Amino acid sequence: MPKTGNSIRIVIALAVAGALAALAAGGAAAAPAKHSGTTITGAGSTFVAPLVAQWIPGIGSAYGYDLQFSAVGSGAGVSAVTARTVDFGASDAPLTSDQFSACNGCAQIPWALGATSVMYNLPGVKNLLHMDGPTLANIFMGKITSWDDAAIKKLNPSVNLPSTKISIAHRSDNSGTTFNFTDYLSSVSPSWKSSVGSGVAVNWPVGSGGKGSSGVAAIVTQTPGAIGYADVYYAIHNHLSYFSMKNRSGKFATPGLRGMQAAAMSDQKPAADNSLSIVNPPKKYPLAYPISTFTYVIVPLQTSKAADMKKFLFWAVTKGQAYGPKLLFQPLPKSVLVVAEKTIAKIHT
Amino acid sequence: MTTHGRLGGPARRIDHLPRRKAVNRMMEVLAWLAAAVAVGLLGLVVYSVVRRGWGALNLDLLTKTPVQFALTPVKQGLANAFVGTIVIVGIATLVALPVGILVALYLNEFAPPSVRNVVTLVLDVLNGVPAIVIGIFVYGLVILGGFDFFGLMPKHNQSGFAGAFALACLMLPLVARATMEVLSLVPNSLREASLGLGIPRWRTTLSIVLPQTVGGVVTATVLAVARVAGETAPLLFTSSLVGPQVSWNAHHALQSIPVAIFELSESADPADHARAWAAATVLMLFILLASVTARWLALRSRARLTSR
Amino acid sequence: MSAADITPDVPDVARRPFTGRRVHFGDVMLQSVAGLAALATTCLVGLIIWKVVDGSRLSLDTYGLGFVGRIAWNPVAGREIYGAASFLFGTAVTSFGALLLAAPLAMGVALFLTELAPQALRAPVTALVETLAAVPSVVIGLWGILVLGPIVRDHIEPFLHSTLGFIPLFGTPGAGSSVLTAIIVLTIMILPIVASISRELFLSVPHDLKEGALALGATRWEMVRGVMFPYARGGVTAALILGFGRAIGEAIAVTQVIGGGVFIHWNLFDTGDTLASKIAANYQGATTRLQTSSLIYLGLVLLVFSLIVNVTAQVIVRRSAKKQGITRGGRA
Repeated sequence: MPKTGNSIRIVIALAVAGALAALAAGGAAAAPAKHSGTTITGAGSTFVAPLVAQWIPGIGSAYGYDLQFSAVGSGAGVSAVTARTVDFGASDAPLTSDQFSACNGCAQIPWALGATSVMYNLPGVKNLLHMDGPTLANIFMGKITSWDDAAIKKLNPSVNLPSTKISIAHRSDNSGTTFNFTDYLSSVSPSWKSSVGSGVAVNWPVGSGGKGSSGVAAIVTQTPGAIGYADVYYAIHNHLSYFSMKNRSGKFATPGLRGMQAAAMSDQKPAADNSLSIVNPPKKYPLAYPISTFTYVIVPLQTSKAADMKKFLFWAVTKGQAYGPKLLFQPLPKSVLVVAEKTIAKIHT
Repeated sequence: MTTHGRLGGPARRIDHLPRRKAVNRMMEVLAWLAAAVAVGLLGLVVYSVVRRGWGALNLDLLTKTPVQFALTPVKQGLANAFVGTIVIVGIATLVALPVGILVALYLNEFAPPSVRNVVTLVLDVLNGVPAIVIGIFVYGLVILGGFDFFGLMPKHNQSGFAGAFALACLMLPLVARATMEVLSLVPNSLREASLGLGIPRWRTTLSIVLPQTVGGVVTATVLAVARVAGETAPLLFTSSLVGPQVSWNAHHALQSIPVAIFELSESADPADHARAWAAATVLMLFILLASVTARWLALRSRARLTSR
Repeated sequence: MSAADITPDVPDVARRPFTGRRVHFGDVMLQSVAGLAALATTCLVGLIIWKVVDGSRLSLDTYGLGFVGRIAWNPVAGREIYGAASFLFGTAVTSFGALLLAAPLAMGVALFLTELAPQALRAPVTALVETLAAVPSVVIGLWGILVLGPIVRDHIEPFLHSTLGFIPLFGTPGAGSSVLTAIIVLTIMILPIVASISRELFLSVPHDLKEGALALGATRWEMVRGVMFPYARGGVTAALILGFGRAIGEAIAVTQVIGGGVFIHWNLFDTGDTLASKIAANYQGATTRLQTSSLIYLGLVLLVFSLIVNVTAQVIVRRSAKKQGITRGGRA
């Protein structure tokens, strides 16, 4: 049998050495995680991802669970939990009846309250420009294309607006934040409602798509004159300005805790499927920020990990809420908390 | 070279040499220009990546795990992605290499011509399937359909095995085709001499013919590994819902370098971008190393085969 | 087995599938296992095609072939309608655009490396080009988002618009994500492949043909045009088709830079979408079965296209290699 030759041996030796080096690196990196043995996996909403990220060490030290969350967007999260690839999904958009039947015995539980900020990048101009619903809808329909348009000037008479072109940033993936935003635009603009409508994905008339809330924030950060939408955490974390939105009572509100709390008062009774709608609240909530939303965890009611899931979810809707305010998530109102806990109790093996 | 015409002036060239020379010159200039633009563009990409990635290339990248949404800047890296890529690509190679060699053996040593044409076409078709379609195929087969390869993979779940299977589908035609080529370079006289000595077919093939092809097969494998280590699409749906910790267990979904770069590229955080550039630099260095190794091995094995 | 068993008047005795009298168990085993591998590969390809067709069945039943011609993609509940035309258009524009840019550049590189370059430059530049063929698409996409996009938006688009703005291709400049960015990214991806295949083809042109032309007084360019191009024509065409096929199927790098959108327009500076990049962006998390099925239908259209292009290219390559009579030791 012919010799394979020394050079081949050298190659093999190098490969093995490389593999061993990698092994060593991997071993060094294996973080000494607290393993109770139970891993809870979830996927979904990038909107709530910053809050869930804080729950990971929290639940780890409380019960020793190894919580993993992949921020892939609400739509992908619902698909993943429907396929039972993960233990729970996170979605800002309530499930449709089709999705409920596909998920086959899943419960929808509100577990956080947040707001979608409308972020913009306009160098030299201050934060918290005023904006109202109909104008915003026209911007996103491509009818208003530059920053010094009369409609925007009217809302901000004292500001010197440049003639920069407006670029739109929206989501390219299926997103609960898109649902919240388009739901709002549909309720303030009949022409938006008839031409585009609302959903986790819509046929955007103009704009570039980014993947995830980070993707939208990235486009806005990198494009002067851009406007995009994402949970307010992303605006603040990336030092982006956001609009102060005019609500139905005529006041301008910011996507802060107070605005979310006021908006949440407009719907205190979850529907039969536990969904709530607090978009564009009526006049009697003058402090309300009109693009607020609850966000939900989607979990199969029957699971082999029932005891752990119940502990995790109870913790999330009670102790976990304390992590919220720093990230601009308002703790759940009492009435919603009661319904959430009642549903969590139904999880069984 | 001018000649004198009948009336004393320079003759009209009937071979139009000056014009042709000018055209030749112009074409040469254009070719130089095109080459400069092409090489410049390609070089610019490499330079861009390395320049941005070099600064963030530190031991942390290889040894620390990612931390999402950290409130304060914290040291993090992509250790889970590096380990995951090694595991997934390793398993894919372990699957694609033997199957590819066997297919090539069958086609080159045993198959009747009609079968050979069909299977060669099959390999061409497999090579032509876009990576994203392979991704949705494996997703549909393993994760939605629950096909678990007779117990090897988790059912209805993403896993490193599922990702490896998708990558193996991409590697298989590359390995098979290259092995076929090298097998066909082995002279027939070798086979005939072996059979003449009374060695059975199978022994001839395995002990005489195949070892001659080692160089070419290793080359092809190295190139296939380099190609597949950078594929994102097949892993997007099969091994993307991952946690931050390092894991060598392919029963769960494992992070991989290309998917990590893809996710980091859509972030707004410059620190994420820095890590993406660094990971891209490592990936490119690995591919460079693999290509150089493959080329050197190819030269060596070709020299050995043709010198007989 | 004795020497008498080898019948000398049967040609290719070494290659015959075993049908001989003396059957070794080892022979049976090897041929069966190898045959099994070939069968498994065939089944795999069949399975892939079947899965893709099966997954798109709902959309196939709902829309039939009209799907391919419809410019629509609306996932909003109550107005759901899907169609592939805008993505097909996007795929065609980006891939043809990339081919248009890459072909002359690749030819230039190949000619440079075979005819014009000083000897010292040839090896390193060849190595550079071939290594770049393996740069992963996600890295080029990363570069496209962070480096190329801003350059296109701030410099290339305004320049083109101001000088050639009367052509509808160069309309109003947009943000960084655009069809033009995608075309440039795809050009960078297919350039190395086309260049290195062309280079090998040009190298394989027989010296005597080239030198004969030169001896007859042809200039170098005339020799290239008259001898090399015709000789390598089949292979170069195949290389171009192969590059085109690679561009069609590219999902990741394109989805990172193209911006998305469902329309057919000629302005290269607008956003757009292709078959592969739409699937990559929306497949995870499609809300309804019809949407999922329509995305797989897009995959089916992409697969059909891709197979036609790629298999054609590979057949041409194989045929032209055979024609050039590349001698092989152990196979016809």
